[in-house]
Amino acid sequence: MAMATIGNNGAARRVEDEIFKQGRDLRGAGFRMVLLAALAVSTLILIVLLVQVLTDGWPVIDERFGDFWSGTLRSRSSDDALGISQGIAGSFWIAVFVAVLAFPIGISAAVYLEEYAPRNWLTSVIDIAIRNLAGVPSVVYGLLGLFLFVKTRDGNSSLMAGGITLAILVLPIVVITAAEAIRAVPSSLKEGAFGVGATKWDVIRSQILPFAAPGILTGTLLSLSRAVGEAAPLILVGAITGRLAPRDGSFFGADQFFDRFTAMPIVIVGWVQQSGRDEGFAAAAGAAIVVLLAFVILMNSGAVLLRNYFEKKRG
Amino acid sequence: MKNSARQMLRLLAMMLAIGLVAAACGGSDSTDVESAAESSDDAAESSDVAGEVFISGSSTVEPVSVRVAELFEDVAPDVFVDVEGPGTGDGFEKFCNGETDISNASRAIKDAEAENCAAAGIEYTEILVGIDGIGVMTNNNNSVDCVTFENLFNLIGPNAEGTTTWAEADASLPDAPLDIFGPGEESGTFDSFIEIVIEDLAEEAGVEATTRADYNPSADDNVILSGIESSDTSLGWVGFAFAANAPVKLLQVDGGDGCVEANAETIASNEYPISRNLYIYVNDAKAAENAALQAFVDFYVADGLDTAVAEVGYVPLTDDAKAEVRAAWG
Repeated sequence: MAMATIGNNGAARRVEDEIFKQGRDLRGAGFRMVLLAALAVSTLILIVLLVQVLTDGWPVIDERFGDFWSGTLRSRSSDDALGISQGIAGSFWIAVFVAVLAFPIGISAAVYLEEYAPRNWLTSVIDIAIRNLAGVPSVVYGLLGLFLFVKTRDGNSSLMAGGITLAILVLPIVVITAAEAIRAVPSSLKEGAFGVGATKWDVIRSQILPFAAPGILTGTLLSLSRAVGEAAPLILVGAITGRLAPRDGSFFGADQFFDRFTAMPIVIVGWVQQSGRDEGFAAAAGAAIVVLLAFVILMNSGAVLLRNYFEKKRG
Repeated sequence: MKNSARQMLRLLAMMLAIGLVAAACGGSDSTDVESAAESSDDAAESSDVAGEVFISGSSTVEPVSVRVAELFEDVAPDVFVDVEGPGTGDGFEKFCNGETDISNASRAIKDAEAENCAAAGIEYTEILVGIDGIGVMTNNNNSVDCVTFENLFNLIGPNAEGTTTWAEADASLPDAPLDIFGPGEESGTFDSFIEIVIEDLAEEAGVEATTRADYNPSADDNVILSGIESSDTSLGWVGFAFAANAPVKLLQVDGGDGCVEANAETIASNEYPISRNLYIYVNDAKAAENAALQAFVDFYVADGLDTAVAEVGYVPLTDDAKAEVRAAWG
């Protein structure tokens, strides 16, 4: 600091200045402006994106949203039956696979790592491995899914293959966020419970999990939105872009798990590609992006609401 | 993909799998998918055909096959036709692995690919379904009417980098500003243009077969067209179907046999030099045992050639060519 030569009086005045005359604190003001600019840039990019997508997709959303919602993949954008129902169904079931597979396994692994596993070289290796897995590019998981679940079935892709692949993709993220939430539980809570004679199982069930629930929930729901938005691994696993014949099965039928599938991000990629040949697909792609965005925002808001609810309950 | 590379990938995938299972403390058994689902493929042959057909291959031909499938659905509602479009090369890889029934292709099968199929014992029938022309265009106010392949190479090829007027490419062309608009590298139209117009001349000149880097690429054909309209002496190329409906001037092209105008007839008859054939390849053995596939290809050849090809914006075959195709599939 440049205050070394100033006496006590000077220092006091200096402090007073800084408190009462903000105009003199140029560096502080500059720093604030930089932060504000950073915020403005990121908000602006988001707004530009949203406006662009909305204007692209508006004709479809405005004129024929009902048909668009219930329609299927078609060859021409002028087709009344063009729509996203197959993409919605695929993405819905992928989300279910992720929730059913990745959440219990990931959270259990995190509880074991934090509460049971001994602290030795093996657990730290596992810890590092999980962290690295969370950073592996998603296409690599696509390759994994391709070899494990598609090539083993003579190259027949299936909804199940896509769902399991994405569950594996988000598993490390679930483990990490859950482990962090569990680590944040105050040790006084645990020790208090142990003090009154609770067993380890009691402590985990009645103290640790309820306290960590908001953190775990936020992490898992965010990983769910990530899974729903992923396109690259699904392309490798063989999600369909061109045509998915409408099967007779119902929306909840189990047959479809072994059939070929598509998903919202794949529908969008396909339509953007087609828009070169048939410009109407650009509007359809825009509308599909709006729908996907709405779902992701809905899920993320759900995560925030649930977190607030559990935090209040724990309060 | 080379074999060694694929082995590496497989190894990597295995390691990842083991790592993941370890990470989940042995709690996951994620490989229980395989056993369950072999059953749904070969549907029983009933009189009113039912079954599945799976088509992969070129994304350019994809809409044609999708359209045929849409029309076929009205005729045979119990046949499920799925279509994907990862690209001609990827499509042939799957096809020669026996994974698909039909492979869409925006070019004829390459020797190496045909060898793969032969090695796997897969016999196939090649069916020409339509033609995709590439329109070379300029602004309506431009006086140029015809360009040769050499002109195009000198205007758009890699050696043209840095030139700003037409005259620099060829003294017979006007001394006017040159503004080039075209599809980007990711486009099939870009690939075809390189393959048909640039490749041979680039080899002669000993340069890489690509375009100059300093043009205005766009994935959106509408952007290319508005670029062409924005400058009096612009130059560009897009799929013929797209250029034909736009307020731009389609240039005649001389591929060595004189100037030829681009229109549906000259493209269908292969007189217009910048065009490519669109094919489907049918797995013979699967067609023999799968009535749904046989019926679908029958329909493709009988009705699809007349309707679907034009409906999705490509140039249909001439009547003679159609008759030939039909006789060959018979």
